[in-house]
Amino acid sequence: MQGSLGRASMPSPRLLVLFGSQTGTAQDVSERLGREARRRRLGCRVQALDSYPVVNLINEPLVIFVCATTGQGDPPDNMKNFWRFIFRRSLPAASLCHMDFAVLGLGDSSYARFNFVAKKLYRRLLQLGGSALLPVCLGDDQHELGPDATIDPWLHNLWEKVLGPQPVPLDPPGVPWPSKFTLQFLQEAPRTCSEELRVARTDPQGPPSELQPVLAPMVTNRRVTGPSHFQDVRLIEFDVAGSGLSFAAGDVVLIQPENAASHIRQFCQVLGLEPDQHFTLQPQEPDVPCPKQLPQPCSVRCLVSQYLDITSVPRRSFFELLACLSPHEREREKLLEFSSAQGHEELHSYCTRPRRTILEVLCDFPHTAGAIPPDYLLDLIPPIRPRAFSVASSQLAHPSRLQILVAVVQYQTCLKEPRRGLCSSWLASLDPGQGPVRVPLWVQPGGLTFPQMPDIPVIMVGPGTGVAPFRAAIQERVARGQTENILFFGCRRRDQDFYWEAEWKELEKQGCLTLVTAFSREQEQKVYVQHRLRELGPLVWELLDRQGAHFYLAGNAKYMPADVSDALMSIIQEEGGLSGPDAAAYLARLQRTLRFQMETWA
Amino acid sequence: MADFGISAGQFVAVVWDKSSSVEALKDLVDKLQELTGNEGRVSVENINQLVQSAHKESSFDIILSGVIPGSTTLHNAEILAEMARILRPGGCLFLKEPVETATVNSSKVKTAPKLCSTLTLSGLVEVKELQRESLSPEEIQSVQEHLGYHSNSLLSVQITGKKPNFEVGSSSQLKLSVAKKSSGKPAVDPAAVKLWTLSANDMEDESVDLIDSDELLDPEDLKKPDPASLRAASCGEGKKRKACKNCTCGLAEELEKEKSRDQMSSQPKSACGNCYLGDAFRCASCPYLGMPAFRPGEKVLLSNSGLHDA
Repeated sequence: MQGSLGRASMPSPRLLVLFGSQTGTAQDVSERLGREARRRRLGCRVQALDSYPVVNLINEPLVIFVCATTGQGDPPDNMKNFWRFIFRRSLPAASLCHMDFAVLGLGDSSYARFNFVAKKLYRRLLQLGGSALLPVCLGDDQHELGPDATIDPWLHNLWEKVLGPQPVPLDPPGVPWPSKFTLQFLQEAPRTCSEELRVARTDPQGPPSELQPVLAPMVTNRRVTGPSHFQDVRLIEFDVAGSGLSFAAGDVVLIQPENAASHIRQFCQVLGLEPDQHFTLQPQEPDVPCPKQLPQPCSVRCLVSQYLDITSVPRRSFFELLACLSPHEREREKLLEFSSAQGHEELHSYCTRPRRTILEVLCDFPHTAGAIPPDYLLDLIPPIRPRAFSVASSQLAHPSRLQILVAVVQYQTCLKEPRRGLCSSWLASLDPGQGPVRVPLWVQPGGLTFPQMPDIPVIMVGPGTGVAPFRAAIQERVARGQTENILFFGCRRRDQDFYWEAEWKELEKQGCLTLVTAFSREQEQKVYVQHRLRELGPLVWELLDRQGAHFYLAGNAKYMPADVSDALMSIIQEEGGLSGPDAAAYLARLQRTLRFQMETWA
Repeated sequence: MADFGISAGQFVAVVWDKSSSVEALKDLVDKLQELTGNEGRVSVENINQLVQSAHKESSFDIILSGVIPGSTTLHNAEILAEMARILRPGGCLFLKEPVETATVNSSKVKTAPKLCSTLTLSGLVEVKELQRESLSPEEIQSVQEHLGYHSNSLLSVQITGKKPNFEVGSSSQLKLSVAKKSSGKPAVDPAAVKLWTLSANDMEDESVDLIDSDELLDPEDLKKPDPASLRAASCGEGKKRKACKNCTCGLAEELEKEKSRDQMSSQPKSACGNCYLGDAFRCASCPYLGMPAFRPGEKVLLSNSGLHDA
């Protein structure tokens, strides 16, 4: 059409940012990318990978993938479908020859499969004909200054590649980006407001899920560590009769926690919110859905107790937005400092390193907190994430029960108030002896699957709370008549944290279990499960190589998996007479055939 | 006469029709000739002859149409396109036309927005309405006479449009660094597109064969990062002790002195003015570090255990 090019606007390559995010960090980074793109006059779309119609990917000229690695080197839930698609053998080699791409990964190098999702995606995109603008960015939680230490310079290079060398655009001072939602406050509480704050399950036919959790009654909540032991560990039992929940050993139960009453009170006070006021939520963008977990209309109390994660550690974007909303000069100046690139270290020592919570930060900036428009609450504060626990009981042994082993997280940083785990502290505070207690939960397949065939022996190494999934496995196998079970269990002292001691003793008597223990603090030198493993090298080798045994490992991610793997490697070498590389290949083969499985947590 | 921004040396065309009075036309042309001088030129053209005259393209800087006082000229798309053609790139058109303000569907008289869109569709940009004025009784009569149209809700509107800064058929290189790359890229093979699309439309299929993603990684990928690379750049030298902006506890001065003296002065007193503000504003030696903000003057007890480093 004549004259359609009239206005001489800056040419803008269309940029697409696709993310896979488990805890919200990758999504936060992606939204930051989107804002930086828009400031540079680049048209930009930001979407979760599984929400993007992958059929269009061949037409995209410029795509940035932001992917977290979770679990044991696995992709986050909102990119699982994409992951299964992109590795299809049938995809033609030159499919993505039209695409320039970059991959930004978020991970934790204390895990063996550090940033595997980002690394694999990078390679696969090259294989499919894409052109990489930059090497893959490997954001690392283990870096002193967190993933931003790697991400910031990488982003700088990215913009240079996409736009050519340019001065950083000057931001208009203190203009906040539009809020995702508006909160329309109601004059009176709605009549249908019920005491039960939780949204009731409306579809009992379908399996319980994050949007339709089971409100399971808590039966018992017992401390199982000795009174002088440093850690409070609870054995918690839920009644799941008639809930539609179905789980096997190796599965995980997800629990949706709430904030403590004292924190809710403090938050409402600092922000000047009325807990009993009700509101309806309206999205500002046409394609942004309202969070399904919130009832409509919703009360402030419900929002703050069940949805807003006010005890999480804020990210840089929190300070950036708060600075824009601040009416107070001194506070705004400090917030701007924290959100600037130069202030990265200050932010780290004020907030990230001591694990200062959003609530604590708001108390340090009272004038700003008191002026936060309620519309921005869901932009500032992320939603509470559910926490996963290995199921510790078998439905075959206890059909209407579900048990979990929960270590209450509590530790000290330079802040006077100790840091507490939200979910574990909340669970520990619940007392079914005082009145009915119901907890929102659902199950998901976990990382461990146990063999169905009757004669296959199973070797399990589960020190500390790592023994929980194995307790479920052993219960299940014994109920099915599978009695070839060996458990290597390690803890500090037999009278302090020897979980399920009586149960193991009984099973040993029945001939269903061989138990090997390592009590680390009962003698001068530390004795751990890997030492016991090596002591029983010939037996382990016999079971693995001659009897097709499966080997399992569960527990703390930091050192134990590497130590146990090393012990296993030396057994394979010594007992099997294999060289180093051959032993490594042997172990790799075991992993590929699911005869060596790990479930570890940080 | 309205200011049309005419300067010396410009080529101006004045378009008229039978509704324009001859005297007023001559008047306008004289004035314009004064402005354009000897270098420029003022041409006069009847609107119905414009297309047939087939002026050379891009030959006029300014076109004025229907601006003669008393005119009730109507412009159709064909006329406007012709005017756009003979305007040089960047040249301006000023026109005046009676428009209908009521929401009446008239085939003869357009509404103001319709007129603007007609200009845009003819290839003009920066289409702006300059002013509106009501028609004089003579003008209303003129509309009735020449156009056979009667209405009480007519207004005369003056509009300007510009020809875009290029000629039809011209081209220039776009500075797209990405576009440069992709212009050198092969187009995606249609067969590949088909396979991809087929596969993507069948996302639910669980039985599809997948390659082993582990095989994509080489030994370099399996290595963990060097622990030294995980340290912050300034770590190891000791964290800088920062003083508050309006330090009253003496830390600011002390830091100054440390530059010139080796000896450390005695520990600063805890009477810094900013202790109550919270960790974000406290200086590095504040004994209240790690505690929440409090109201100034509020008594806050530091327990003995609190004074130890965590």
